[in-house]
Amino acid sequence: MSHHTHTWPRLPGVNHRVACHFCDTLHDVLLVDEGLAAHCKQCQAVLYRNRPNSLHRAIAFGITALCLITLVVIFPFITMNAQGNMNSVTVPGAVVMLWKSGGALIACTVAIFVIVLPVTLICSLLYLCIPLSHGKCLPGSAGIMRCFLSIQPWVMVEIFFLGTIVSLLKLIKLADVELGIGFWSVAGLMLCIAGAVGGIDKIELWDRLELAESRRKGKA
Amino acid sequence: MKPALDENLAACHTCDKVSDLSHPHCPRCGAPLHGRKQDSIQRCLALGFAGILAYIPANLMPIMLVTQLGVEEPSTILGGVATFWEMHAYPVAITIFIASVMIPGLKFLALGFLCAAATGKITMDPPFANRIYWLTELVGRWSMVDVFVVAILVGLVHMGDLMTIRPGPAAIAFGAMVILTMLAAHAFDPKLIWDQIRKSQNKPLSK
Repeated sequence: MSHHTHTWPRLPGVNHRVACHFCDTLHDVLLVDEGLAAHCKQCQAVLYRNRPNSLHRAIAFGITALCLITLVVIFPFITMNAQGNMNSVTVPGAVVMLWKSGGALIACTVAIFVIVLPVTLICSLLYLCIPLSHGKCLPGSAGIMRCFLSIQPWVMVEIFFLGTIVSLLKLIKLADVELGIGFWSVAGLMLCIAGAVGGIDKIELWDRLELAESRRKGKA
Repeated sequence: MKPALDENLAACHTCDKVSDLSHPHCPRCGAPLHGRKQDSIQRCLALGFAGILAYIPANLMPIMLVTQLGVEEPSTILGGVATFWEMHAYPVAITIFIASVMIPGLKFLALGFLCAAATGKITMDPPFANRIYWLTELVGRWSMVDVFVVAILVGLVHMGDLMTIRPGPAAIAFGAMVILTMLAAHAFDPKLIWDQIRKSQNKPLSK
């Protein structure tokens, strides 16, 4: 798609319109240059943005995020030393400990919001973006895209990161605490997810998918 | 500037494609197509009230049970804020107070005002209403931080008789409250506020 440097490709001969999320005012989707956003004429809310290098950025951040999630699962994020008692905690370790001490529901909440959904989010984004960077799409892309959009608000890595900082401050008075690889991986993961998800507009992804889908149907 | 609904068109809630309302499903992504979110106000209020019900035990009951040298001591959210305040860790105390007590409270108020504006009971400056809705959706999730703090402390502090931390009943209530208010904000349709404004002015707004 190198010949489209300023806008994204989309299905020709279709009326591309968008209704503002806030006030429902109808607009034509006039593609804007990279780095710019289109605003609603009525209420000035952002309608869509054209992010530079959107697909490559999403892929790069997505792959990095997957590597970091692996580190988060393996390595402890805080190690505590209280009067000779060494304790360290990994994210799966905290989930198991919660489960054992009678907090099964909370254990599930943490596992889902911090591990399961982020992995699902990144995998679905890569499933869409890697083929799209070659102008293709894999079967079931529309369903994967719907899943990607609906789980976005429930990915809470950045909130978990704030939680580790608050816990750290609670523990400082009790014991010597050390930050592990897991802690820095959570921080990196938080930034990578923001970069991957924020790097591509929803309308751009759907337009590209629609085009790729019609090409696939045309060939078959 | 006409709303899409006036031309019997609707933007898909999932993929944003504008289609004719005669289609029951979006032709592009297959999601059900509605002009406005279905039963938006009722669902928002129902989930919001359920959230308020969960907010009460979340703040009154202990969120953690700290056993130190064989003595079990319950710890509430407000108690934690007070401890940090006494330690002179003011930024932490303020952060926790804002995230766990103020944000949920303000969120219930904001949703109440938005629902009132959407049914025409009160009038609200439209850009202001937009901003409130946007903020409500953006900051609501951050209250989950308390549940994560409990999870981390339980995972880390288990040193036998010396000190052990277990999750308290408020942790579940708190998590439920955050999830319910997120669902409530998601159920609300800000387009209803603009419908009211257009109805009251009986002509399109122009700037």
